[in-house]
This record gives sequence, structure tokens and C-alpha cells, in this order.
Amino acid sequence: MKQNLFLLFVISAFAISVQAQKTTVKGQIKDDTEFTVPGVTIVEKGTSNGTITDMDGNYSLEVEDANEAVLVFSFMGFETQEMAVAGRSSLDIELAPSISALDEVVVVGYGTSTKKEVTGATAKVTGENIQKLNIPRMDQALQGQVSGVAINTNSGSPGGSSSIRIRGLSTFGDNDPLILVDGVVYDSEGLNALNPSDIESINVLKDATAGIYGVRAANGVIIIETKKGSANSKPRVEVSGYYGIQQPAKKLSLLNAQEYATLKNEAFGTSGDDVPFANTDLGEGTNWQDSVFQNAAIQNYNVSISGGSKSTTYSVGGSYFSQDGIVGGDKSNFTRFNGRLNLTTDITERVKLTSILLYTHEDRKTLPENGIGSVLYNTINAFPTDPIRSTNGNYTYLEEVSDIINPIAQMENTHNNAWVDKIVGKEELAIKINDDFTFTNRAAYNYALVDSKTFSPLVWYGPGKAQNSAINEDLDPSLVEIGDSVFIERGASVYESRATYLDLNFESYLNYAHTFNTHHSVKATLGTSVFQRKGSGLNGTAFNIPNNSIEYADISANLAPGGYLNNVGSFQYEERLLSSFLRAEYGYRYKYLISAILRRDGSTKFGPNSKWGMFPTVSSAWVFSEEDFFNVEAISFAKLRASYGISGNDQIQNFAYRAQLNGEGVYVFDDVIQTGVALGRASNPDLRWESTRQFNVGLDIGIGDGFSFTTNYFIKNTVDLLFQPDVSGVIGSYGPGGQPPIINAGDVSNKGLEIELGYATDPIKAYGFGANFNMTYLRNEVLRTPDGVDFLPGANFGVGGNVATRFEEGYDIGYFHGFETNGVYQSQAEIDASDVIQEGAKPGDLRYVDQNGDGMINFSDDTDKKELGSPIPDFTFGLNLNAKLMRFDISANIFSAIGQEIIRNYERQQPYANQLDYVINRWVGPNTSEYDPRLTTEANRNTEFSDYYVEKGDFMRIKNIQIGYTIPKSSLEKLRMESIRVYVSANNILTLTNYQGYDPEIGSNGGPLSAGVDYGFYPQARSVMGGFNFKF
Amino acid sequence: MRTLTRILIASSIAFVVTTGCNKFLETDPLFTQDAENYFTNPQDYELALVGAYDLMQGSFMNIWIGEIASDNSIAGGESVTDTKGLHEIDAMTHGAVNTELRSVFRWNYAGITRTNYLLENKDNINFTGKDQIIAEAKFLRAYYFFQLVKYFGDVPLIVDERLGVDEVSELDRTPASDVYEQIELDLKDASEVLDWTNPVKGHVTKGSALALLGKVYLYQNKFAESATTLDQVIESNNYALIDDYNALFSVGNEAHSETVFDIEYSGLEGGGYGCLICLEGNAAPGFHGIRQYDGPVYGDGNSYNLPTQNLYDAFSSSDIRREATILDLDAFISDQSNPSEITYAVGGGGHTGYYNNKYIKRQGEIGLPDNDLTSPVNYRVIRYADVLLMAAEAHSENGTDGKAQQYVNEVRARVGLGGLSSSGDALTQAIWQERRLELSGEGHRFFDLVRTGQAENEITDFVAGKHELFPIPQIEIDLAGGIWDQNPNY
Repeated sequence: MKQNLFLLFVISAFAISVQAQKTTVKGQIKDDTEFTVPGVTIVEKGTSNGTITDMDGNYSLEVEDANEAVLVFSFMGFETQEMAVAGRSSLDIELAPSISALDEVVVVGYGTSTKKEVTGATAKVTGENIQKLNIPRMDQALQGQVSGVAINTNSGSPGGSSSIRIRGLSTFGDNDPLILVDGVVYDSEGLNALNPSDIESINVLKDATAGIYGVRAANGVIIIETKKGSANSKPRVEVSGYYGIQQPAKKLSLLNAQEYATLKNEAFGTSGDDVPFANTDLGEGTNWQDSVFQNAAIQNYNVSISGGSKSTTYSVGGSYFSQDGIVGGDKSNFTRFNGRLNLTTDITERVKLTSILLYTHEDRKTLPENGIGSVLYNTINAFPTDPIRSTNGNYTYLEEVSDIINPIAQMENTHNNAWVDKIVGKEELAIKINDDFTFTNRAAYNYALVDSKTFSPLVWYGPGKAQNSAINEDLDPSLVEIGDSVFIERGASVYESRATYLDLNFESYLNYAHTFNTHHSVKATLGTSVFQRKGSGLNGTAFNIPNNSIEYADISANLAPGGYLNNVGSFQYEERLLSSFLRAEYGYRYKYLISAILRRDGSTKFGPNSKWGMFPTVSSAWVFSEEDFFNVEAISFAKLRASYGISGNDQIQNFAYRAQLNGEGVYVFDDVIQTGVALGRASNPDLRWESTRQFNVGLDIGIGDGFSFTTNYFIKNTVDLLFQPDVSGVIGSYGPGGQPPIINAGDVSNKGLEIELGYATDPIKAYGFGANFNMTYLRNEVLRTPDGVDFLPGANFGVGGNVATRFEEGYDIGYFHGFETNGVYQSQAEIDASDVIQEGAKPGDLRYVDQNGDGMINFSDDTDKKELGSPIPDFTFGLNLNAKLMRFDISANIFSAIGQEIIRNYERQQPYANQLDYVINRWVGPNTSEYDPRLTTEANRNTEFSDYYVEKGDFMRIKNIQIGYTIPKSSLEKLRMESIRVYVSANNILTLTNYQGYDPEIGSNGGPLSAGVDYGFYPQARSVMGGFNFKF
Repeated sequence: MRTLTRILIASSIAFVVTTGCNKFLETDPLFTQDAENYFTNPQDYELALVGAYDLMQGSFMNIWIGEIASDNSIAGGESVTDTKGLHEIDAMTHGAVNTELRSVFRWNYAGITRTNYLLENKDNINFTGKDQIIAEAKFLRAYYFFQLVKYFGDVPLIVDERLGVDEVSELDRTPASDVYEQIELDLKDASEVLDWTNPVKGHVTKGSALALLGKVYLYQNKFAESATTLDQVIESNNYALIDDYNALFSVGNEAHSETVFDIEYSGLEGGGYGCLICLEGNAAPGFHGIRQYDGPVYGDGNSYNLPTQNLYDAFSSSDIRREATILDLDAFISDQSNPSEITYAVGGGGHTGYYNNKYIKRQGEIGLPDNDLTSPVNYRVIRYADVLLMAAEAHSENGTDGKAQQYVNEVRARVGLGGLSSSGDALTQAIWQERRLELSGEGHRFFDLVRTGQAENEITDFVAGKHELFPIPQIEIDLAGGIWDQNPNY
């Protein structure tokens, strides 16, 4: 409104034309808090005539024509204002703080800074951007939005998790960053509980300045702020929602029945076996994928009210989210209810209470996924020649492969349910002692109640299947011998568990900020933090559920005779962290900025000799665009930053420093074997955190009004990774059942370059365009493993196959290691003539490369294996576009990752298992294929892990496209509404890749060493959604 | 400003209090018994003692190395790369990379660590019977250290504590004399508490402790102390030789009057070749068995540790101990009623025609379920004949020839041999020879030869000044920080 009045005023000033005369205009300039502003530049528009305000904000300027002259008032940090003199001799101005990108608030931990001032490498995603993505889970919002942050979806199933990796992998242990929601610690698993629509902003601390969080900062810190109300505003009601349909983005090209029968006949035939199919003219047969995949609904509805009086602000909201799975529909559903309250109130003029409460209820149903035996694994390998149901109405048994079961039957028999109730919040008192000091005290809590129930009915998937729990088609239970010739039946079972987790965190810190002599700004933060996490759980399994029915699936209903088979378990743990921290910042004229951080952490996780750690960080910045010598017109802002610091990763096993009594202490007394007690794993009282030393140098440049450029180069070395290598025998670890202690040894390095380019037109205009491009280059390398540890083995290839991934010095974490192929043996003559003896090779077999040059391929050891790829991309790119055309808005997000490889590990290498249709190009005789080996059921080495099973994982994906329309305000007056926006949105609409699997964007189903191994990942769905946003 | 001051003071106090508050971080795992909160009731001590005994079962390695390194036997086995370390020891070509020597080093330190773990916590609580447990633990520690010092000379002495990884790198080898001093101390302490008998078979006794102490003295040429100590054992009249020498090594004949110190084994638990120290059975008899043997009396085995012709020839044909010690397989077969039906194979690791007849897999003594590894035959570490011979040797060296003759002749009389009447050096040497004849195949010979200075003359390729000690495994030197000097000339 103010602005409109002002415009009117300007227009009227022009309208009244008064004759020119030379006048001196005087005035005082204040900011919005009534403080006078010195150093403001005042220029008569269109001339070089100008001045600046004195220490008290006063100015005086002679203008040629007081009627015509327009003065331009500008000062860094404030909106530039133009004001016509309009004949006046006195012109007092109130400058509004600028809302330029440079003044955007950056949350840095125990305080805030601005983009202009910040000395570390940070990134921010606003709530507005997050909301537009229509994503179920908040962390997906970070993908492609900021550089240096990699989000890998571990499963596309509803409620599935992602892994968040800031600046690469620094350990084979826990790489999760520290996540704080309104200052409350969240674990990355728990992020499902957050409603993306409730988020005001996400700030990412990427470099050593995250060190204000000390021993928890090594993997970076993500600070999430939820929406808050604003003071002196009327209640604002917002109702939004979307509904969409998801479908599989891709199905695999598998063999149809005819192709299958033909090729299987060939495979059996070449081995001299009887061919299985007398008739191969079987047509398409069963398309198992079509039966397993389905369209599934996704929906989300939010309502929120926010506002505030002079002393109180509030933001209250509720939401409902539900997503069915494209595999299994409601058998793989995730539903979430959220309620939140965000309240601030000034108890006195100086004391402000902030109260935040987030409540979530989650309900998740899951199917076996991401591994051997998962629904998709069975789907891919099921035979197209078998129908889903046999003529008697039963599901088919797929008898020829013992570990492939009918996926439709499997879905029907799976009943996995988990519920989470989570209450997270804090009470915070901020005492403004005087203009310089603020003292903040807060108590934060994070409580979660996690329940689960799994019902396992008696099932029969066919003869010899490992998943059978019944002994025959009639679902008769098996008998268990519980005593000498005493047998009882083992019927359907139910497993139930309940676990509770509680974090409590008390923090006190004092913030100081003062500017001395105008130019010397000093800020300091001093504080302490006490953190405690407790977890406990109870679980049980009960057998003989009546009627083999889900209706009675509860432990209380069990009919297990005497409870002989039933069993229970429990766990509990407690960990504590005690910290103090100090941050001091100094800035001279916002030109030279320096900051130092020191944090001291003590943790129960570390050995008595290493209970406490000290974590220092220094960072500095030079805003060289403020220098007198800097006179590049085009560049409005330029800042050079550097930081170095040490931080820690405390996410190690609890009590790993303690010696255990799990050794074997057995001796013979009176000729009877007597079991005693003996030391197992030895103690290591020096055990401590993994330590990360990070150097960052960065450059921020603003060009003109709309362009911004940020780049960072970093070197991040993590040392003291936890290993259990051979140790001196003197420690005594090598008795029966003994284990060496866990020690700190092993180093990892991550180096990278990040670039962010942004462009945005003035958001106020009717037409606008914005673009943000970011790029990350990352080089990961294991620098050291301790003596006696050549490598750590990772994921397996195939069923009980070779170790395919490793943690080894000189390579990426989790790199792929196996045989290199160089084509296919075309003839026996070629095999005979070869310099290299490859045992058992026949024409049509893969030809392996003799890496160690000993003239033979050694299948019994690793000497002929080499690096075959890495799951870690070299480059990732994100491009975010948005445009505004009158009432239409359009946005798009594109993400790309290049340079990573994926192991194709979802093919069951069994004679009857179905295959991808690339096998049609197999070798069938001399010069028929140089790449794909022959098909045969006889013994061969083609299923050894080799580069034949490694594919390029490069991809580019349009993550989201959205087109919205905002209904003109004029048409809303009758409805008493402020705005209505409707939109259509599509997620995951297009992926460009050569990868043959479902989805090249795969995470890991078991830590960093399983990354990039595709077991038939539950793919991310493609979805099309329509949505609305009403504001009242 | 006053408010500010107050708050500043308050926050500074909070800062100091929390950062100084170590107690908050001192937590134990909930409801979990681990090594750091153990030893809170008497049973904890009893069970820990069982664990401390366990490592003695690794002493089957003594029967191998003590014989194979000497002139008594060759390594044998499937091939010269089957248990390569033993073949190298056999040929006196062993170096610092030797799996078997590393096992000796690691297993005995594991035993020491288990006893130290118990002894470090000995003052936690008091209860009746604790002294007995402490005394047995001290005996065990002495035994393990004696093994180490016998093999390697100077070894790090660790008493009543467990070491962290970082501490090991600051650890030096302790002079053997200091290690011996601790061994003597522990054995004296043990012998003062222990009774001559223990109702439970397998527990060590006062006799075990004194006999071992006498032996420890003998290894240091402390002949007077050795004689006095061993005399106590002899004069206690708790021990006597059994009549039948042939019956000494059978499962059915354990814990008799000649048993001074046995290591107990059981055949009731299986095991695997991957972890020999995990076995509850005695690995030696199975390994000593006849390769692919199909015939009476014996079981099939791995043809390890095969007696030499030299040993066979050392016995007079009238000495019944020759057949009791050495199985002349072909002679045995031809004595059977069906020699043509009895078959066996010769291993590529060497063949002498002789087998260790004391510790060998016999039908009727076959353990379950993997009988190559699970012989129930106890290892007779110190039997009364050994005590008599050690005492004889000590007295002979002391010049009390009369007692020396009396003791050695008691041993000879049992096998029907006439008494020795020599004196002085001749007597000493005769006693040494008697030790060979009486104790061959039991793992003493190499150490006796070294101890008495005969090794250079008796062992082919033995280098004086080098082979008296085995090399410290190089990997153990490296893992301990690389600061230890290797034993001379390795």
C-alpha cells in the first residue's frame, strides 16, 4: 500500500509543473527503525551532481531546478529510492531495507547471517521452491537445487528413504549430515515425518563453518526452518492440495514367451540337454511387469493459518499425504498426518518465547524390495511362458528356479505395516539484554514411537521354494521337535515390535553484536549444549495365528502350544553429548570479514582417553567490490571467501571402545567341556570420532541486478575412519573368539568444484524469468587403509557370488572390482592360439583380460581383477527454470549426473530365469557377436562379475514441470479470497539414459559399499498431478 | 548492566560446569555385561578362570615344534608346503615369517591377557575360594610367559593390565631374566596357595606349580633352586611312576600317580582346520596319524611329526620305550594277521617309516565329529618321570650325584633297565640322554638341547648364536610399532 501511495505522489508531483529555480535541498535519512543512516549516496537523476549523508544522516544538495529534479537515494542494504523534489527544500527520506538476494538471511547455527556477510560455503532453498516440486519427502527438494549436495533415492517406494551426501562420501560408515529442524536434531531416516509444505527454508552448511556443530558436523549440516507467522498481520488462511496419478516411468525389455522359449531351447541344446520347449510358438505369453505394476494415486492436502499481533505471531497447520505404490498399490502405501504449531510471543519487552510443536503420524506398508527375493526381482526373472494362475486357479509355482516365486502371490501374502508417531518441538526463551546482547535458552525434544507388525501366513509357493512356510499345497504347517520326539506345529506367525526414541537437548547461548565507530562490526556467540538420546524397544514373534488369517494377526491371538516357539527380544541404548562453543566474527566496512569458531564436544561414544574433542574453524571473506580500486561497472558485488576447519563424525557404534566378553573360554574339567567367559573384542580406550579437515575457497559475484555467480573449490580430508585391522598379538586378541579392537585408521579424500549461476528478473514485474544452474564436480578417493587391511569387501554380485565392490586405497569408496572382458571367443582355434589360458573357455564365452600377465586367468583369486567403475558421479548438474507471464507461471527442474556406473545385478543367473532382451544379440557362431556371450546351461565362466555387468549410469531427468494459473484478484473479491492458484504438474516425466534398468538414479540398500548395485530397485514413479492453492 | 552481568556470570558458570562435567559422559551400556563391568560376583571369577585355562590347549604346538626342531623328528605332512612353517623349522631355515611361530606368540599372549584380565580385577570383591582362583591364574600366567620366553627370549612383560593399541607401540621387549623373575614370583605365589590335590581333574595343583618352578629354574641353570624345589615335589610322596610305560599316553589312563601337570582335551566337540586354537580336542594325535591308514589299532591322519632313524637308533633294542615312543609302521603291519589288507599312504612332506606312538590317533580314542582334530588325549606337560629327571639333572649339576643317581635310576628301573653309576659330567650327560629316551615325542627335546648346549652338535644346520631362540614374527614387530630388535642373526 505504501508503495502505491508513493507512486501516486510521484505522479501528482510530475503533474504539477512549477517553474525552474536553483534550490538547496536538505534532509535527513533514516532507516525503517528510525535510525539515521550515514553514507547514503544522493544523486540528482540524470546528472553527476551528488553528495553523501554525514554521520547523522543529514545531507544537503543544490539542484538546478527544484521543480524538475528527481533525487536518487542509494545505500547498500537498502532499496534504492527515487523522489521528486517537487519544489521542496526539505526532503526527509525513510529507506526500506533492500530485499536483494545479498541480504537474504542465511541460518548458520546459533544465529543468522546474510548472504553478503557470510564467510562460509552455504546454500539455501526456499520454501516456495520446495512447495512447487510436489514431492513427498523434503530431501528430494535439495536434489539439483544446490551444488555439492547429492540426494540418492534408496527406494522409490512410498515412504522410502534417500541418502543425503554433502560433498561426497567421507566414510564407509555413516555419511548422513546433521539435520536440524528449528534447532531440533532430526535423523535422516525420520525426514519422512516432515511435510514439505511446512518448510520456510533449508540452509545447507557445506564447509568447515559447519564446525559450530563440532563432532557432528563432518558430513555437513542441514538447517530446516518451518513456517512462522509475521507480526501485525491479519490471519491468513491457506488451503492447498494436489492429487495425482503415478505410473512406472519405464518397464524393462524382457523376453516374451516365444523369445524365451527359443533362447532357452538354444541354451539347453548347446549343452546337449533335452530342450525344454517342444513348441516355441508361444506368442507374448505372460507380461509379469504389466501385472505387477499399476497406476497409483498420490495426494496431499494442507491447511494453515498464520498471522500475528504486535507481540505474538503464530502459524498453525495440518496436512494429509497419501501415496500408493506403483508396485503393490495400497500394499505399499505411505500415509502421513501432520499437525504443527509455531508460536512466538513477547512475554516482556525484552523476553521472547518461541514455542514449536510438530506432530506426525505415519503409516507405511511395505513389500520386499531392493534385493534378491524382492517382488521386482521375482517379476524380472519370472518365466513369460507360465501364466499367473494355473488352470486350477492357484498361482503358478515357477518351479524351475527354486528362489524365484510368483510375484503376484508374494504381494498377496505380504503384510508389513509400520506406524510412527512423532512429536518434535522446542521451547525457547530469548532475552534481549540490551541492544548488543541476546541470551537464548532452549529445550528441544524429539520423541518417536515406532510400531510395526508383520503377519506371515502359511504359504506355499511351490516345491522347494525357500519362502515356503507351509509344507505342502494344502498349507499344512511344519512340525518342530521341541523335545525328545515331542513335535508341535508351526503355523502362521506374527511379529510385532514397539520402539521409543527420545532426544532431549538443552542449549544456552549468548549472542553479541555491536558496531564500533561505524565501520567495525563485531559479533560473537558463546554457548553450551547438552544432548541426550535414548532408545528402547520390545519385540516378539508368536506362532499359530488362528485360521491362517490376517484377521487374527496379533500376538494376543496366538495358539502356540505352551508358547514353545514364540520368542521375544529387546534393546535399549543411551548416548550423551556435552558441548560448548564459541564464534567470533569481525567485519570492517562489510569489506573484510573474519570469523573463528571453536567447539568442544564430549561424547559417551568415545573411549575414556578420547572423551573430549576440540574443533576449530577459521573463515574469512573479502568483498573486493567495495574497494575503491574496483570499478568494474557490470559487477555489482564480488566476494572472495576462504575457510579451513576441523570437524568430527560421531556416528559410530555405541561403546565400540569397550572390550566385550564374547570370546570363547572353554576348557575341560573332569572330562566335561566347561564353558567359561573370555574376552572377545578387545578394548580401545583411545577410540574417537572420525575427523574431517576441510578447506574451502569460494567466490560470489553479482552481475548487474539479476545475475549471480558462486563457485567453491574444496578439499575435504577425513581421517581416523574406524577399522578392525590386525593388531599386535601382545594385546591378546587372538584367543578363541577374540577380535582385535576397533581403532581409528584410514583416510578418505573428497575434492570438488561447485558452480552456481543464477538469473532472476525483478519479481514484482508482471513478466519475469528466473534460472538457476548448478554444477558439482567431485573426486572421491580412499587415501589409506591400515596395515593388514588390503580392502574392505562390499556388496556381492549374484547369489552367493563374488564380492563386487570394495573400499580400497587409491579408489573411490565402493568402487567396482572384477574381470575386464575384451570380447567373445569366436572359435576353438582362437582359444587354442591365445597367449592366455582361460580355464574352461569355449567359443562364445567372454574373453577375460589377463591383468597380471601370468598367462592365465586366475578365477580363484583377485589377481586378474581390476577397477570396473564407480557409483559416484563425476559431475552432477541441476537446472531450475521459472517464468511468469501475466497470470501464468511455469517452472521446470532438470537434474543430471554423469560419470557413474551401475552394476546390473537383478538378473538371476539360472537356466530358466527370464532375461533382458539384449540376449537376443548373443553369440551363436563365429563373428555373430563380439560382445554378448553364448547362451548355454553348461558350466561356464560368463557369470563371473565382469565389466559385462557394469553399465554407464549417466542420466538426465526432468524432475518436475509445473504450469500454474493465478486467478485475477478482481474476480476473487466476491469470494473474499486473496488469491487462487491452480496448476498441473508432472514429476519424473522424462529421463535420458542408456541404462537398461528401471531407474539410473539409484542409491544404496546397505551403506556406501552397496551404492550403485541394482538388485531391481523399486523405481521412482512418473506422476501427473493437478493442484490448487487458496489464500484467504 | 546489572542484569547483563548476572546473565554473563550465569552463562559462564554454565559453560564451566557443563564442560567440566565428565560424570555426565560416564555411562555403561544398559543391561549389558561386558569386559568393563565384569567381576562383580564369585562366579564371574570362576568363569573367567575357565577362559584363562583355554589357551593352554594351544600347547599341542609344543609337541610339534619341540620335536620337529630337534633331531627327534621331521615335519612330514602332505607336502613341504603343508604347514610350511614346520618344514622350515625342521630344516633350520625358519625366518621371521612363520605362521606357527606367530600362533605361539599370539596364543600365549591371548592367555596372558585373559589371566591379566582376571588379576587386574582381583581386588574387586572378596569371597571364599578367591585365593585359589588367583593362584591358578598366576600359575597360568607363568606358564604362558614361560612358553614365550622359551621360544623367543626377551618378550614384553605385561602384568595385571590390558594394553591399548597405542600403548603397545611404546612397549619394549623385557629382558628374559626379568620375565623369568615374574614367572618365579607367580609360581611361588601359586604354590603357596594351591593344595597338592584338587578334586576336579584338570585344575593345577601345588605339585604342578613346584614342578614348573623347578623346570623354570633349570632353564636358567639355577640348579640349586631347581633341586630344592623339585625335591619338595618328590618328597611330598604324592607322586609315583606308574608301572606300565606303554599305558602312559592313553585316554583311559589319565590323572594317575604320575600326573603332575596335564593339559586337558575333550573329543566331544567338533572343530575346523580354520581355527586350531578354537578346538577343545588335541590336534596333535590326529595330525600325527598315519596317512590314509586302513588297518587295526590306529586311525588315519596327516603323517605329521615323524620320528627319525636317529631317534630310533638312540634306543637300545631292550628298551621297551622304543616301541612305546616310535611306531615302526611296516614292522607293525607285518606283525598283524592280515598284513596285505592293511594300507596307508606316504605323504609328500617326508617319510621315515616311523610315527609318534605316544600322541597318535588310536581307535577307541577317536573324538567326534572331526576326529582329525578332536583327540581327547591329554597333553602330559610334566609327568613325574620328568620331575625325577629334572631333579636328577639339577642334583648332578650341583654335585649331589647320589641323589641324581637315585632319581634317574628310579626312572630306568620302571622300564627294566639297570642303574647308572657314573658321576660328574658323565652322569649329567647320561641324565640328558635318559631325558631323550624317556621324554621323546613329548615336545621337550629341542628346548632341552638348547638349554644344555647340545643343540649345535645334535641338530643338523643348527647355527649357534642364532637358533637358540626362534625369531619374533616380523609382522608382530611391525604391528608393535617396529621398534623391537629381532633376535640375533635372523
